[in-house]
Amino acid sequence: MAFIRFFDPMSFGTEFLFTVIAVVFCFLIYFKTKESYQLTKYKGIKYFRVAFLFFGLSYILRFLFSLVLLSKIAFDFILPRGMFAPLFILPLGYFSTIGIIYLIFSAVWKKFDNKGVHFLAHTVATLLSLISFFIRSHLILLYSQTALLILVTILSSIAKEKKRLSKTRVLYLLVSLLWLINLLIIGRKKPFSFEIVLFFEFVSLVVFIVIYHKISKWVK
Amino acid sequence: MSNRKRERLEVIHDILRIIMENHNSIKPTPLLRYSNLSSSSFSEYYNELLAKEFIKEITDKKERKYITLTDKGFNYIEKYSLILGFIDEFEL
Repeated sequence: MAFIRFFDPMSFGTEFLFTVIAVVFCFLIYFKTKESYQLTKYKGIKYFRVAFLFFGLSYILRFLFSLVLLSKIAFDFILPRGMFAPLFILPLGYFSTIGIIYLIFSAVWKKFDNKGVHFLAHTVATLLSLISFFIRSHLILLYSQTALLILVTILSSIAKEKKRLSKTRVLYLLVSLLWLINLLIIGRKKPFSFEIVLFFEFVSLVVFIVIYHKISKWVK
Repeated sequence: MSNRKRERLEVIHDILRIIMENHNSIKPTPLLRYSNLSSSSFSEYYNELLAKEFIKEITDKKERKYITLTDKGFNYIEKYSLILGFIDEFEL
């Protein structure tokens, strides 16, 4: 059952707070690992931090896009939906797709690191964002990113030497999965109640905080 | 040390450590010997370390060349084990 929500200050407030905290932690992870990368130029660190930079940008764009989706009922005169929705969905699709690919790639880059793979990643991200742009739906982006996540997870499992699912790989999967869920719950027609939305946002923040905490143990 | 890149980080650490353990002043020839690398590999790493400003060359009055660590080189040695821990923890 879809929950059609009219402008609700409580929902808007929690959404705003969630976005701010998620973006802060994504950027903290990016900046915290800057010195390690600058000292070593290690590609695994590069892909890892770039993934969080792009997730941070994606969460900002997701919030802006959700404002545009709400605009029909709240402030269409300020943010004309027809004009802004496609504009936001284009970078949203690109940044979030690159975020998902690079996060998974950071764990398997040794197997695939060549220019062809990077070209493919950017081409896929551009294609998905263009498809969403022309269809004007974040749900298309959601479905295609879900398919992409399944594909890259299978490929990375085949490529990875350690076949067991480690805690870190679970965290990577959670970051990507929760992104997809958070993409699903923007807009007026929500598939979940407010409490469940709140639960997913809370879990997302816990995952970011756990990753940041794990990094802080090593990177002073 | 399961991969080539990881070995690279380790080799860089070893070269810097050798310099530090020799009172932060060593000639290129003993450094090459202690580093256990072929001369071509050593040159590659040596030039990389100079370019990244981890080490610098000092020439004394008798025109003898010595290698010393820069602050960045000391910083690398200090952070090395932590960075390896980070790489391991996140399977990077």
